Amino acid sequence: MSDRTSVLTLRLAGPLQSWGASSRFARRTTERAPTKSGVVGLLAAAQGRDRAADIADLAALRFAVRLDQPGTRVRDYQTAHHAETGKSMPVSERFYLSDAVFVAAVEGDTDLIGALHAAVRSPVYLPFLGRRSCPPSRPVDLRVHRGGLWRALESEPWQASAWVQRRRSHERRVELEVIADLPTGEGPGDAVRDRPLSFDPHHRRYGLRAVHSRAVTVPNPLGGSPSTSRRDFVPPKHDPMGLLED
Amino acid sequence: MFLTRFRINTARIGARRLLTSPQSLHAAVMASFAERPDHQGGGPRVLWRLDHQSRSEVLLYIVSPDRPDLTHLVEQAGWPTTGGWQTKPYAPFLSRLAIDDTWTFRLTANPVHSIRRHAAEPTKRTAHVTPRHQLDWLLKRQTDAGFTVVERSEPRPDGLDGAWHEVVVRNRSDLAFGKRNETDDRSHKVKVTRVTFDGRLRVVDPDALRRTLTAGLGKAKAYGCGLMTLAPAEQTR
Repeated sequence: MSDRTSVLTLRLAGPLQSWGASSRFARRTTERAPTKSGVVGLLAAAQGRDRAADIADLAALRFAVRLDQPGTRVRDYQTAHHAETGKSMPVSERFYLSDAVFVAAVEGDTDLIGALHAAVRSPVYLPFLGRRSCPPSRPVDLRVHRGGLWRALESEPWQASAWVQRRRSHERRVELEVIADLPTGEGPGDAVRDRPLSFDPHHRRYGLRAVHSRAVTVPNPLGGSPSTSRRDFVPPKHDPMGLLED
Repeated sequence: MFLTRFRINTARIGARRLLTSPQSLHAAVMASFAERPDHQGGGPRVLWRLDHQSRSEVLLYIVSPDRPDLTHLVEQAGWPTTGGWQTKPYAPFLSRLAIDDTWTFRLTANPVHSIRRHAAEPTKRTAHVTPRHQLDWLLKRQTDAGFTVVERSEPRPDGLDGAWHEVVVRNRSDLAFGKRNETDDRSHKVKVTRVTFDGRLRVVDPDALRRTLTAGLGKAKAYGCGLMTLAPAEQTR
């Protein structure tokens, strides 16, 4: 890793998220993790770039996302009527991730990463989690790391909710899945149509992106703490009869 | 006064009915006395409590002015041929209580307070829900009840100010059942929150503590609340 690159980590947490990569028409699906195009769009919006602006520099960033709390997929059967004409809009099926937490990381030139960090701290257009109806529950920016994408994802604390951490309290370290860009020249990987080329509303274009899945282990802040389950609890001994004479 | 212990045979059908219905158990306890217990005034009365030591070991404790006869309970929910119940005189122990004794205690109680949301509304009895408030309920009553819960010398683990007492609040259960009014025969709903305190106490006023142990603490005494018992405190701590 050269000195000229840094990593910006983002915490993507909210009641609902929706990260579509291949949706068409009335069935709007979600991937199980944030997409590169979604996060690049979030960063471009934070910088205040126009829809039609060039995003080649952002699309060239190395991208990886850690699945801290996978959440559950929920389906919304959406009906809507036009506000003015009252005509019914096409019925659509929308999928969301509920109660999920992710850590996304982008690696690139130090100056660009610094500018992006400043932009997400005071965004021009507000960030949202894949769909404009999905606001983040907490600030999305975490910090800027030196020393590579994987080091950053290994050093970032586990962001899952306390109840998830407590549920896995028997594990002092937890293994978290990471979905990352496949470095050029390595393996076939999985292809997803998730390389943003242009967000121009008249003609959005996405290229193919090769990804692979790996795992990192991070400490569990609540690991090794005594279990509080009711089954383990033994009431203290209490024998009031022993004191009394017959 | 007498202290009685009866172990419930949880494998029997009769035990199921007694453990799930505080009304039935109250009636069964009251049926143990040939002479109907008199509960008028604040004097000694019949108190009972269930201790779930484990799934199979459930003990019924009864404190009463008269010696009870639990034959009917043994027949319904005990071991009729091999086990009965133990009853011991309570008064000698009570008379030995002295200032500054320390004992471990167990109390199952119904911590409630009366609140109203605005001045025009009549006050309504409302259960304390969180362990913090339930413990505060006990600490508020301790001086009048003749004891203080022992305070720990170490600082609190959560870093907050204030005392940290040698007590655990556990086993919260909500009882809800229908009841028919004795006077006008109207049915209504009874809701009682039961919670068990286990801890150490120091005797402050032996007379007041004797009254607490024989007349009970708090509300819902008919439904297994209010009976406090003492056991020897370990000397190691």
